[in-house]
Amino acid sequence: MHIPDGILPVPVTAAGYAATAAVTWYSVRKINQQENPRREIPKASLLTAAFFVVSWIHIPVPPTSVHLVLNGLLGAMLGYFAFPAILIGLFFQAVMFQHGGLTTLGVNAMIMGFPAIIAYYIFRLRELGNKQSVRKTAIFGFLAGAVAIVLSVVMFVVILINFLPADLDIATERAAIYTLAIAHLPIMAIEGVITSLVAVFLQRVRPELLESV
Amino acid sequence: MKLALDEYAHLDSPFHRWDPRCKLVGFLAVIFAFSFVRDLRMLAAMVVVTVTIYIVSRLPASFTLSRLRYPSFFLLALVLILPFLAGHTIVMSIGPLDLRQEGLIAALQIATRFLCILTIGVILFGTAPFLTTIKAMRALGLPAILADMLLLAFRYLHEIGGDLHKMQTAMRLRGFNKHRFSVRALRILAWLGGSILVRSYERSEWVYKAMLLRGYGHAPHPRSEFHTRSSDIITLSVFLLVAAGFVAGQILCGSGSGALLQ
Repeated sequence: MHIPDGILPVPVTAAGYAATAAVTWYSVRKINQQENPRREIPKASLLTAAFFVVSWIHIPVPPTSVHLVLNGLLGAMLGYFAFPAILIGLFFQAVMFQHGGLTTLGVNAMIMGFPAIIAYYIFRLRELGNKQSVRKTAIFGFLAGAVAIVLSVVMFVVILINFLPADLDIATERAAIYTLAIAHLPIMAIEGVITSLVAVFLQRVRPELLESV
Repeated sequence: MKLALDEYAHLDSPFHRWDPRCKLVGFLAVIFAFSFVRDLRMLAAMVVVTVTIYIVSRLPASFTLSRLRYPSFFLLALVLILPFLAGHTIVMSIGPLDLRQEGLIAALQIATRFLCILTIGVILFGTAPFLTTIKAMRALGLPAILADMLLLAFRYLHEIGGDLHKMQTAMRLRGFNKHRFSVRALRILAWLGGSILVRSYERSEWVYKAMLLRGYGHAPHPRSEFHTRSSDIITLSVFLLVAAGFVAGQILCGSGSGALLQ
């Protein structure tokens, strides 16, 4: 779900970089307002690398397999570090595996990062009332994971279809949107379930990991 | 999983010797100028410039070809589908499918721009050690938090990747079938991901303590290790001129400055 180089027009990639710069600036400002921001950097960095590695795990979805995106879980766990973490992950993807691209880094960061921030706020809703409730962690974990991936898919499809440098008629555009959305339905469900399962696992094993850094 | 992108950083070429800060600015200017190009003649010029830069870099052709193995099937699908869906001018019919001129041109533009930008990116990151490139980004104004996170994440990526590999091997040895879909399999894979996160979190606490012992946050800011020579500035000027040339060429060959915004 990363848009490669060469597809989007320059004003769109420039707007993506401008939005990414603004959100990164805001995230860095929030991080610097914390009591000891340096203390959190190793934790956020290693978890960034860990999320990158966890996304290599393939989940069987017969007849094929999908890899996890986990931007919802990343947002829920990393809080304001989530957006810089996603930016770094996408940069690694672009330069190491040529997934995504350098010119589209800003757009891709918004597609993955903005939903991660929304997921952070959704997951924090579990703190209302009994914070230790496993059921609440499971429900808000599912919602954080599923909503984040739904938002990412919607942003990806809208940007791609609207700014593709080719004339598609309305019927073709609509068919493409429906096809892409339906193709992602199983991924949305699986992301929600896995995010929920990992959140419950972490609550049992290392609950402080769910207290956003 | 092949992570090394700087395996030929030890070679000797003008780009290997170029000040990494100037190289970043020059190559990124060319990359963004390439993304403006729509005109077919300018696309041809873009290919010539890319091939020339690649030859000068002395990187083996196999290096870029091996990098092409990973790029998204998504792009391949797009390039294959567009000629049949986009546009109105039918060039030829293959059974029930109509091959359209506008779609063909769009696919050619996308594929050429993608390949040229990818190749320039490979040269940018393939002609210097990755850590040097990150330091150059820091020297050019990348916020300290991002630079520290980039360095640390890159440093531990291989080790955490090794952890995953070991844990997956252990799962396989205990009879886990990674191709079978079941609720139990999903739970086990979630625990695998969770374990990786917990291990990384615990490792980060030791790393932080080790960094503190080495003066993290208190050591004086190191002086820039980069030195710009006049030849670096001349090469940068050439790259900026090439980039400006592509933007100007697109304006002249396309339909004015409006062509840049399409």
